[in-house]
Amino acid sequence: MVSFWRVLKFAFQDLGRNLGMSFMTVFILVLMLLSFNTLWSLEILTQKAVSTVKDQINVSIYFSSDAKDKEAEDVKSYLSGFPEVVQVDLRSRDEVLRLFRERHSLSTEVLQALEELGGNPFGPTVIVKTKEPGDYKKIVEALNAPEYANLIEAKSFDEHADAIDKIQNITNRIEGAGMGLTILFALISFLVIFNTVRVAISSQRFEIGIKRLVGASNWFIRGPYLVVSVVLTLISVGVAAIILKFALKWVDRYLSVVFSDGFSLTNYYNSHILYVFGVQILVVLILTVASSVLAMRRQLRV
Amino acid sequence: MIKLQGVTKLYNANSVALRDVSINIGAGEFVSVIGQSGSGKTTLARLLIAEERPTKGDIHIGDWDLINITPNEIPYLRRQIGMIFQDYKLLSKKTIYENVAFALEVAGENNHRIRQVVPQLLEIVGLSKKYDRYPFQLSGGEQQRVAIARSLAHRPKIIVADEPTGNLDTINTEEIIQILKKINEFGTTVMLLTHNREVVNSLRRRVITLHGGEIVMDQSEGKYVL
Repeated sequence: MVSFWRVLKFAFQDLGRNLGMSFMTVFILVLMLLSFNTLWSLEILTQKAVSTVKDQINVSIYFSSDAKDKEAEDVKSYLSGFPEVVQVDLRSRDEVLRLFRERHSLSTEVLQALEELGGNPFGPTVIVKTKEPGDYKKIVEALNAPEYANLIEAKSFDEHADAIDKIQNITNRIEGAGMGLTILFALISFLVIFNTVRVAISSQRFEIGIKRLVGASNWFIRGPYLVVSVVLTLISVGVAAIILKFALKWVDRYLSVVFSDGFSLTNYYNSHILYVFGVQILVVLILTVASSVLAMRRQLRV
Repeated sequence: MIKLQGVTKLYNANSVALRDVSINIGAGEFVSVIGQSGSGKTTLARLLIAEERPTKGDIHIGDWDLINITPNEIPYLRRQIGMIFQDYKLLSKKTIYENVAFALEVAGENNHRIRQVVPQLLEIVGLSKKYDRYPFQLSGGEQQRVAIARSLAHRPKIIVADEPTGNLDTINTEEIIQILKKINEFGTTVMLLTHNREVVNSLRRRVITLHGGEIVMDQSEGKYVL
């Protein structure tokens, strides 16, 4: 127990008396953490942008004017059973007519033409939304079955198939590039942190040698450096979190213009605070402690 | 107390640091090991604190068998041998009080005893008033006296001093040698590794002469003859 308190005492003594080195280490750790969080935020924004684009894609299935609402209802139930389908909305014949009238309320020619036709010339419409743009092909294929083919007059997918394919392609590439960049940056961060800690400990090589010569056990020598690693990690994550808080507030002002649903990075970080900072503390801690142990291993070898 | 039997240390096939060295040093002796640079003095000191292992031969210090010592036992061995070096080897970020206390702290001594012993040790080497200074604020002679105080912290039965006066002027050299003689008078075995002719000649104690890693002379009251 006495040794434990002495290890703590030496750790805080080292921190206080090596302020320059402690400051440099924290500075580099904070830079790495901020860069990593920037990339993390970009990844979140990319995902959000991609999902917003995907959300705006849907396929409308227009039934022929002979089709009954009941038949459209059956198709809706059939499509709802698909695991790829997120949402299916049905517009009855009357609703389609009403919406048409609303849309063309200012165009008297169109409304006159509608009157001349007499009755309701529209069939019901089913609007389908799937998880991925690529899933629409499957839905369209399912509706090509003979029992539905006669009821359906047109599908908007046929007109938008190329655009949907392109969006799918672009979003896949953005997601892939984001992931690749994150992995690359994580690797660079790991190497920088690893070397920062190694340099900090290597500068203490002479002192470590003296401690060994006066009879300090390896754990008595290693202990303070490990405690220092933990303290510097916590300080760095704390400082990075404070800077991030202000940076996110600033970015959110611009995001509110881009995303109409009120999406904000501050809210994202607040709701994932344990995960985001838990992961960062854990990763930096593992890195700094492992770097400390590896850097000292050679100097502690008898 | 210290027994080396047929000790050889090779760094590689062309570099022989020590060759077939056998030494017996009894309790309470003051022995000077002399030789030119590269004669193997420092290798001998490193072997005695198990910082290196011999290529061949046996080393015993008290009850310790240094051939079969485990890494975990080495710190305990070092707490029983007071080491003094030419470059003092003080912890630069600790005050001289903390440097001396550190030797006791690593051994798990309680705080009460540390507060009692450290001022006494600093008093012995005449530095009690400078307890809160850092090593860089002291002269070379004063730093070496701190190193001596630290080496005495565990009340060791053996002091190994490797060129302790190598960086000091004549007056400081004389002071350090007087302190070592006083330590020896209290029964501690002192092994002084040096190439300082005046020091060795003034001591009139046992002298072991190393040359090219071999013992060429062992005189009970010798002089520097190289």
